[in-house]
Amino acid sequence: MQDFKQKMRTLKKPAVFLAIFLCLILILSAFFVNMAKKHPEFVQSRNRPWLNIQNEKKNSIDVLVLGDSESYTTFSPLEIWKQNGIASFVCGQTGQEVEETYYMLRRALRTQEPKVVVFETNSMFQPQNAAEGFSKTIAQTVNYYFPVFLLHSMWQNWLMGPEKQQVYYKGFVVRDIVEPYDGGSYMEKTERREYMSRAVRSYMDKMLAMCREKGISVILYSAPSPNNYNYAKHNTLTDYAEQNGAEYLDFNLMTEELGIDWEKDSLDNGDHLNVLGAEKLSRYFGSYLEEHYDLEDHRKDPEYSSWNEDVQKYQNAEKNAIRKIEVILEYLRKKKQK
Amino acid sequence: MALAYHTELYLFVFLPLVVLVYHFSSQKMRRAVLILAGYIFFWSFSQWLVGYLIAVSGLVYGAGRWMEQLKETGKARSKGLPSKERSAVKKQYKAKEKKVLIAGIVILLGILAYLKYCNFFIQNINRIFAASGSGFHLNPQNLLIPIGISFYTLEAIGYMADVYWGRIKAEHNFGKVALFLGFFPQIMEGPISSWNDTADALWECRPVRSENLTKGIIRIAWGLFKKIVVADRLSVLVAAIYDDYTSYHGVMIVVVAIAYTLQLYMEFSGCMDIVIGSGNLFGVDLPENFRQPFFAGNASEFWRRWHITLGAWLKAYVFYPVSVSGLVKKWNHFARKHVGKYLTKMGIFAMTLFPVWMCNGLWHGAQWNYILYGMYYFVILLAGEAVAPVREMVLERFHLDCHALYWRVPQILKTWMIIFTGEMFFRAEGAAAGFHMFRSIFQGFELQKLWDGTLLGMGLNAADFAAVGFGILIVAVADILKERKLLNWDKLQEMKLPVRWILYYGLIFAVLLLGAYGTGYQQVDLIYAGF
Repeated sequence: MQDFKQKMRTLKKPAVFLAIFLCLILILSAFFVNMAKKHPEFVQSRNRPWLNIQNEKKNSIDVLVLGDSESYTTFSPLEIWKQNGIASFVCGQTGQEVEETYYMLRRALRTQEPKVVVFETNSMFQPQNAAEGFSKTIAQTVNYYFPVFLLHSMWQNWLMGPEKQQVYYKGFVVRDIVEPYDGGSYMEKTERREYMSRAVRSYMDKMLAMCREKGISVILYSAPSPNNYNYAKHNTLTDYAEQNGAEYLDFNLMTEELGIDWEKDSLDNGDHLNVLGAEKLSRYFGSYLEEHYDLEDHRKDPEYSSWNEDVQKYQNAEKNAIRKIEVILEYLRKKKQK
Repeated sequence: MALAYHTELYLFVFLPLVVLVYHFSSQKMRRAVLILAGYIFFWSFSQWLVGYLIAVSGLVYGAGRWMEQLKETGKARSKGLPSKERSAVKKQYKAKEKKVLIAGIVILLGILAYLKYCNFFIQNINRIFAASGSGFHLNPQNLLIPIGISFYTLEAIGYMADVYWGRIKAEHNFGKVALFLGFFPQIMEGPISSWNDTADALWECRPVRSENLTKGIIRIAWGLFKKIVVADRLSVLVAAIYDDYTSYHGVMIVVVAIAYTLQLYMEFSGCMDIVIGSGNLFGVDLPENFRQPFFAGNASEFWRRWHITLGAWLKAYVFYPVSVSGLVKKWNHFARKHVGKYLTKMGIFAMTLFPVWMCNGLWHGAQWNYILYGMYYFVILLAGEAVAPVREMVLERFHLDCHALYWRVPQILKTWMIIFTGEMFFRAEGAAAGFHMFRSIFQGFELQKLWDGTLLGMGLNAADFAAVGFGILIVAVADILKERKLLNWDKLQEMKLPVRWILYYGLIFAVLLLGAYGTGYQQVDLIYAGF
């Protein structure tokens, strides 16, 4: 016992050092969060969804979307707003990892009470071994509790001036490029199942449990993407959704129903959709949500007046993007004729 | 990379956990904790190949015990014999010991050579046959190399040679040998220590002390500062140019040679700080691997300040045996009579240094540019020795002081040019690429590329360059203070607590705020872990 006490005494000074360090980190985190809210232009583009969801009016979002770039290039909340008046928001990020998704969801649920949470499924097949998963968990946990780690690079934009910012329309990014996909059909039927890592599965389980606990419905969806999806993934996701009582929409099997034209709607040769493809998917998704879930149409709600202003901006961006895509398509047509 | 020293997993989970378990264990258990931690660490990279490390420990332990037994038997049998016979018996047993030593070395080097150099030989054999028009082709082997093999193999050979030479006694406790070779902070990148450097301190398993904890933590933070603030940023610039080296020439090649040298220094010495700091937490002082290398006045001095433990190992186990070998003795005997003192000395110099630098090059890996790198320093050191009499004469004739700034600064600058050129070849993808880059320095220098925005198109923005500049400045100031003996790690510990803690927090927050991690950056693997 004496020995144990002695050993504890040895740790006293380092413990004080650590305690002061933690206090300083908390102070610095509060400072950085405050700074980010005041000067969002200094926050790096990839971290903007983290900030943007916190800036949304409390309890105003009914549908929350999470995932990697496949989410924010395919699900357009303002397109759905125009058509169905559903208030949705995309918290997707480039290469968002499942650990990031988890903490993004937790952060969003601090201020929002969505009725439906939608997960784009591409990130569910990121290969992660146990060590990688553990490392990422540490990094994201630290980011969540001490946001200074997430926002630390803000000084760069403060020093050099804001970087060219990605414009987000409730989390959606208008993509105005076209590079056709000409690889043909890619969803060949098979009984095979694609491997989903244990780390990913455990985070998905945690998120689904969190949603269940809060009475939130869950939809998993796979955006049309020949580069990222195949039937083996479809099988795995179908199984997973069934086992967990979630709904699963695989748009890779519905491209005809959506009217996806791979000549026009592909952003980068079958990886992502451009704004034309996103429009089609979002309209379908909007109707689906309206039909299957009890979601309010907020278009006439004065609390949501700013959404109508956002729609104007979105429509302008959409128009410009479509014009640019047409020019590119025209160029490609001429090139082909030559 | 699993539990690499710069990862969150190592710094925030593995290391603190090992320290805590070690701290609350009894002294005997502490040894087991460290050995087990070493194997878990190893496992995280190489899984079942941890068996290889255990086997090496067993081999080295067995060889040591065997040589000891032969020594004792030889002694016992020669006891009481007349001097001539005694010497013959001793010789006989020494020869047996030598066989054990050679067998041990052959096994260890054989495995190392097979794993590291097999594909190099296959590639070159294929090249030769392809050039001769023959259809003969060998398939490269898909080999799994255990982590850190180049480091603990040298330690293992060093231990056996020391037992053979009688510098140390063979260890009777297998655990001590296992800990010496498998102490986790050293496995991946060294420092390559000799038995006398670390074995006793490791086995002693001193209790954790609060001052060792702070000393260790701050040393680790200093290493992270060098790696994450400077080296990881420079790696972006270096990769951008090296990956497309044919598109660059002139000043850009000079820039990348300097940038890579700085990256390597910041990364390798930074990793050593993390390693030595990790050792400090357990009350172990691991040998230093760097001593302000950019203050070296010549290439020879540079190598006494850069990767010191590799140089020391090569000196002890290659240079020394070659120096006293029969061949050198014969040359000395012959040359003194026939070619004069100067050429005799030069001949000895060449004969002893050639294997050292060939081994240095080969140790880094199976690539021609590494061999070229070794030979580059061999030639430079030989040339330095050749002109030494002229230098001495100039100093004497003009009454120059070789310690004065007017002499020292140009010497240092000259050494920098040697270092930068060497590292440029070292990083190149093969010897041909190195020569291409060297030639292209002289094809349109275009100094304006330094300020016309070209550098900003290499993946780093102006803020990154500012952070790199700040980091280099801080490290340079620290190196100057250390060189002038105004500051060292112990002196820092003697400062008053508030001053010390302010400095510590300042350093930790500099890493936290300026570090190239998170959004926009990728974790960069440790360079020397690949050797």
